Amino acid sequence: MCSLCGFPAAPGHWTEAGAATAHDRLRERFRRVAMLQALVRPMGIGVHDGGLIPGLQVAGPGGGVAIVPDLEAFWREVERLTGRPFDPLAG
Amino acid sequence: MTTDGRLQLTIVGGFLGSGKTTWLRHQLFAAHFAGAHVIVNEAAETPVDHALLDASGGLTVLADGCACCTGAAAFRDALLAICDRRAEAATGQLVLETSGLADPGAIVDLIQSHPVLIRHIVVHEIIVIVDALHGWTALETQPVAQAQIRAADRLVLTKTDLAPADDVGRLRALLQWLSPGAAQSGASFGSESSLPGMAALPDTSPVLASDAPAITTCQLDLGPDPDWTALTLWLSALLHARGDQIVRVKGVVAAPAGRLLVQGVRRHVQSPEILPKTDGPQPDDNRIVLIGSGLSSDAVARSFARIAAAG
Repeated sequence: MCSLCGFPAAPGHWTEAGAATAHDRLRERFRRVAMLQALVRPMGIGVHDGGLIPGLQVAGPGGGVAIVPDLEAFWREVERLTGRPFDPLAG
Repeated sequence: MTTDGRLQLTIVGGFLGSGKTTWLRHQLFAAHFAGAHVIVNEAAETPVDHALLDASGGLTVLADGCACCTGAAAFRDALLAICDRRAEAATGQLVLETSGLADPGAIVDLIQSHPVLIRHIVVHEIIVIVDALHGWTALETQPVAQAQIRAADRLVLTKTDLAPADDVGRLRALLQWLSPGAAQSGASFGSESSLPGMAALPDTSPVLASDAPAITTCQLDLGPDPDWTALTLWLSALLHARGDQIVRVKGVVAAPAGRLLVQGVRRHVQSPEILPKTDGPQPDDNRIVLIGSGLSSDAVARSFARIAAAG
């Protein structure tokens, strides 16, 4: 369990299975957060992952920050903030 | 083999993602179909399931077309080829794993109405795998799922450990109502498990769909060096937004950790399994097959490219 955020160390979400080593994992996290920032910035949502605590920090347009454990929870949070799901097939 | 010299055919059916391959894999491992020749049929162009099965008596893979409709001719030819080879190879029995969209009744019809096959093959048992978690939804929305239950001799309920006991009881009652003659048993990762008691069926019969949007398959080519980060980002967003439309996701993707078997049913994606290393790239690797309604390969490819460009 992480003492900062309280998320138990789960066996890992399926989206995090790609990395073989700890270095890969960190590199992948940084890349992932950069991509997410580019995708959700137009909706007024900020994402931060400093690599120190597990999960992603999602900042809504009003400034409130939520910590989500994985991508599945991330998209749920984006839907909660914007009122509709982020649909990759739309547009 | 039966006393009249015909081959026994066991049909393993069940809706998309109900756990047919998992169940069959365990049965083969436990040597329940000794010396069986296994035929695997998949509706999608890219076969994935055969990578998981290791059959002692031989394995035939029929991809791109369901054995009960579009792939009927290929299936018939495969059966005829097996019958021709019977003289030199002592095949004891046949096991067919159908695609998730196949109606086992139509497959039996095909064998029964063929002048040669009827003399070589006798349908021994139709086993239909039912997902205890999603089975009710599939029955409510997909006519083919109902046809599968109606055709069954034996029903195996999988994922019973994941579903609440009350729901499993209700599902059992519905299955009993649809197919009163079929014996029901439970399985967890292929091994036998106990089932909760059957619930009483409500006075009014459940409402089941007769016409649902057609299910199609489409695939996404990821190229020789797939971008795992972009894929997970895109797929998790897609499943969140369109999980009702997508029935099944599967594919083998080369990631730094190895060849990962990604598979999901509706919104649930299993923790990927690392497949054994192979010499050089496999032709079917790095492709994601999506089965659902209202999807097109072009739109899917464009949408993935847009997300991948964000990196």
